[in-house]
Amino acid sequence: MGALTKPFILLVVIYLLLKFVVPNIPGSAPLPSSLIFLYVMLALTGIVIYYTMSGESKDAFWGPIQRFLTGETKGALQTARYAVLILFPLLVGWQTYGSTAVSDAPPAENRTIHPAPPGEYTGLSNPVAKTPDNIMQGKGFYAAFCSPCHGGQFDGKGPAARGFNPPPANFSDPTTIAMLQESYLFWRIKKGGVGLPIEGMPWKSAMPRWEVELPDEWIWKIILGEYDGAHQSPRTWE
Amino acid sequence: MRSVIRRHAILAVAGATFAVLLATSLPVAAQESVAVRAVITKGPIPLDDPNAAAWNSAPQAQFPMSPQVHWQNRIQEATVKDLKVRALNDGQSIAVLLEYADPTEDPADAAALEFMVGDKKAHFAHGQPMAQVEGGPVNIWFWRNKDGKGVDMSAKGFGTLKAQSHQDVTAKGIYANGTWKVVFSRAMTTEHPAEDMQLKPGEFINIAFAVWDGRKDAAGDLVEKGSQKAVSSWWYFRAEAPPDYSGYIYAALAIGLALAFQFVLIRKLKKGQSA
Repeated sequence: MGALTKPFILLVVIYLLLKFVVPNIPGSAPLPSSLIFLYVMLALTGIVIYYTMSGESKDAFWGPIQRFLTGETKGALQTARYAVLILFPLLVGWQTYGSTAVSDAPPAENRTIHPAPPGEYTGLSNPVAKTPDNIMQGKGFYAAFCSPCHGGQFDGKGPAARGFNPPPANFSDPTTIAMLQESYLFWRIKKGGVGLPIEGMPWKSAMPRWEVELPDEWIWKIILGEYDGAHQSPRTWE
Repeated sequence: MRSVIRRHAILAVAGATFAVLLATSLPVAAQESVAVRAVITKGPIPLDDPNAAAWNSAPQAQFPMSPQVHWQNRIQEATVKDLKVRALNDGQSIAVLLEYADPTEDPADAAALEFMVGDKKAHFAHGQPMAQVEGGPVNIWFWRNKDGKGVDMSAKGFGTLKAQSHQDVTAKGIYANGTWKVVFSRAMTTEHPAEDMQLKPGEFINIAFAVWDGRKDAAGDLVEKGSQKAVSSWWYFRAEAPPDYSGYIYAALAIGLALAFQFVLIRKLKKGQSA
C-alpha cells in the first residue's frame, strides 16, 4: 500500500488547503465546491501521469489498486472493497437521478438587490445642506411617503410592506443605505422599481417612481432624513 | 473463507445503506408559499362549486396582501390582509379557488388574478412600462359580486385595461360566514396567445392577486375602487404534470451500467494477473 500513501496524503492536503486555508488568505473568499473538485481532479491527473512515466513506478502505483479491486487484500480493506463496489454504482445512479429528474421547485431567482445605477446617477452630491431643519423636513416627507412600506422605525416593516416580494429595504440594516452613496438613493427614489436594470427584476418591485410626484429637492431632503433616522452614514470614496 | 466474505459483504451493504439513508434524509429547504400548485384531479373540476370536496385534494397556498401604494391613487389600508389559494387541473382546464376574510358582503366586492402573457416579463402593476427592460402585457381575470361572472381582460400600462373581445374565463363567488370563496377557471390554452396566458403542464408561470372590499364609507362612496385595492406582487403558479418516473428509470440504467463496468474491469484485472 506504500506507493498509494503519498499520493493519497497529497490529495488530502491539497483539498484541505483549498477548503480551509485559501479562504483565510486576506482578500480571498471561500472556493465553490465545483472549483475545489476541479483542482483536486487536476492534481489527481498529475499524480497519475507522474506514476505512469516509468514501468517500475507504474507497477508500484497500479499494483495496490489492482490488488484492492480484485479482492486479494485482507481484513478491513476487504470490507472497504465491497463498500466501494456497492457505493460506486449507487453514486452514479444518484447523480443520474439528480440531473434527469424533473424539478419540483419554482425557478431559482438570483435577484441583484443593489444593481449598478445608470452613469448619470453616480457621484452626484446632495445639493441640500445637512442642517437640522432640512433633516427634519426630510423626515416629515419620509413619514408621509416612505414610512408606509419602509417603516416609521426605518426597518422596512411598515404597515403596507407585508404583501410585497421583494420586501421593502430595511435602512437600519448595515447592508443597505450604509453601503450606498447618496446619489444611488437619489436614483432609486426618483426612478423607483421600474427604473431597475434587468438583474434587479424591476417587474417585481413595488417601489414608486417618485419623480412623477415629488420635486428633486424633496427627494434629497428625504435622503438626509433617511440616513439620520436610520443612524447610518452614506458611503463615501475613501 | 466463505463466511468471511459474507461478513465483509454484510458490513459493506450496511455501510452503503447507511450512507444512502444519510444522504436522502438531508433537510429539504422549508417551502414558504411561493407557488400555487394546481394538482391533477380525476373527477370533473368543480368550476361552479367553491365548497366541493375536490378542493381538499389541492394544497393551500397563502399569500400576504398589501394596500396598493405603488402608484396613484393609493390606499393606506386595505381590508384583505391574506389570501388563501388552491388550484386544480384536469389536463384541459384549470380552476383557481381564492378564499379570504371580508366582514361584509357588498355588491362591489371583487377579486382578480393577473398573469404575464408571452415570454416578456411584465410589471405586476398592470404591466406598466419599465425604464431598462422591455415588458410584456398582462392578462387579468376579474370577478365582481354584482356581475356574477368572470371578465377576461388585458393591460399593458396604466389606463390600458380593457375587457377582451373574446371571453374565456368563468368565475363564481360564494359568501358565507365572513368569507368569500371565488373560483376562476379557464382552458389551459386559448386561441389568443398574444392576449391570454397559456399554460403548459409542469411549467411555472407568474401570478399576482388583487382584492377589493366593496364597502362604502359614511358618505356612500366606495372605500376600495380602481387602484385602491389590496394587491400582491408576483408569485408562481404551476399546473402539475402527470407523474414523471423517467428520473428513476435513468438512474436504474446508470446503476446497471456502473455495475457492468465494475464487473468487466475486475474480470480484466483478474485475467491480467493470472496471465
